Amino acid sequence: MDPTTVMAVVCSVVVFAGWLLLPHSPTTVKPVVVSDEREPARVSA
Amino acid sequence: MKIDSGDTAWVLASAALVMLMTPALGFFYGGLVRRKNVLSTIMHSFFILCLISVQWVLWGYSLAFGPDKGHIIGGLEWVGLNGVGFAPNPDYAPTIPHQAFMLFQMMFAVITPALISGAFAERQRFKAFVLFSLLWATFVYDPIAHWVWGAGGWLHTLGALDFAGGTVVHISSGVSALVAALVLGRRLGFGKQKVEPHDATMTVLGAALLWFGWFGFNAGSALGAGALATSAFVVTNTAAAMAALTWMTVSWWHKKQPSVIGAAAGAVAGLVAITPASGFVNVMGAIVIGFGAGVVCYLAIQLRERIKVDDALDVWAVHGIGGTWGALATGLFATVAINSAAANGLFYGNPKQALIQLVAVGAAWGWSIVGTFAILKFVNLIVPLRVHEDEEVIGLDLSQHGEPAYASIHAN
Repeated sequence: MDPTTVMAVVCSVVVFAGWLLLPHSPTTVKPVVVSDEREPARVSA
Repeated sequence: MKIDSGDTAWVLASAALVMLMTPALGFFYGGLVRRKNVLSTIMHSFFILCLISVQWVLWGYSLAFGPDKGHIIGGLEWVGLNGVGFAPNPDYAPTIPHQAFMLFQMMFAVITPALISGAFAERQRFKAFVLFSLLWATFVYDPIAHWVWGAGGWLHTLGALDFAGGTVVHISSGVSALVAALVLGRRLGFGKQKVEPHDATMTVLGAALLWFGWFGFNAGSALGAGALATSAFVVTNTAAAMAALTWMTVSWWHKKQPSVIGAAAGAVAGLVAITPASGFVNVMGAIVIGFGAGVVCYLAIQLRERIKVDDALDVWAVHGIGGTWGALATGLFATVAINSAAANGLFYGNPKQALIQLVAVGAAWGWSIVGTFAILKFVNLIVPLRVHEDEEVIGLDLSQHGEPAYASIHAN
């Protein structure tokens, strides 16, 4: 393998391994309550 | 010389693809600003499409590609497209009408100053923006385009490789964006209040349309419908995808979640970086270039935040640094197996090419800094660069254009 191919393989392994190994921290989000129904937008020609 | 109908069709279609990139950029940027500035941000791109289309046919094309004057600039012989007809020009594209080449190049000239507009978003006066864009296209873009692509240009003669605009488009715009951000100063409340993108979906759509148009940008730069265009198409897609994957991985590691806007920005960074290399590297080279773009552009944003420069939409980090990486990487990974008319890079036994690329990068950085600084100072003598504070507070959509983007919703 030429140097470019070796580097490409290493880069790909780093990225794919990263996706498998990185932890996921979900953010807690408060649900948004929509109290008023939105009025339809007025569109003038 | 005989006109090739296939080549002509591909270059004209590519010109249309590249044209689409400028309004797509408007949407990419428009989603990233606050809702009170979205129309003005989109207007920057749309207006430049109109402004530079006219500038290019009047004098821009002649300065960039006209008969060489001292290896620095094109002459005025082709002003108003005088002498630019339908017969092919053997210096630039021997199988398509000269006007088809001129049109394709016009779309590059259009998008380049539009890229800069991301740096001074949410605070530049529209009148100053118009004057700056016209002067910048004439005194920064046109000379650099001549140096690199013009017949007789000094970097072209030196052997610098830039297939589709790493130096001409991305370094020039990205570095100029940094200068503009420093000269204009920070937005009100910068660093004190968090500025959130008002519509991430608009940004992702803009990025997707940019990716689509970039096939014309890079594969169209083969100026023919053949193997080189196919190779450029493949490496363009590969680098964009690899950079998006890399950016997401780095941001996931850094901020614990894979960012959607990060994925879009990463793809654009990869597209930027592969631009100068797209006609010279193979698909393995494209993977390394995409990986490098995802890492260095992400790090450049962290640096920009740390030194508190308000390049509002990170034009320097993505285009300036991404373009610099791409131009240098071309000197590493170029191979004549892809393009026999070019040269090998460092990893294919030609270290001299890496040095030539370094000279081209330095020249593009230097002229962009000097030219942009001088133009901004000159424009400021005629019309203030920034809007008044109260205009900035109510937003540029209302203060500069008298129109809200969204009916009855003006605030932030």
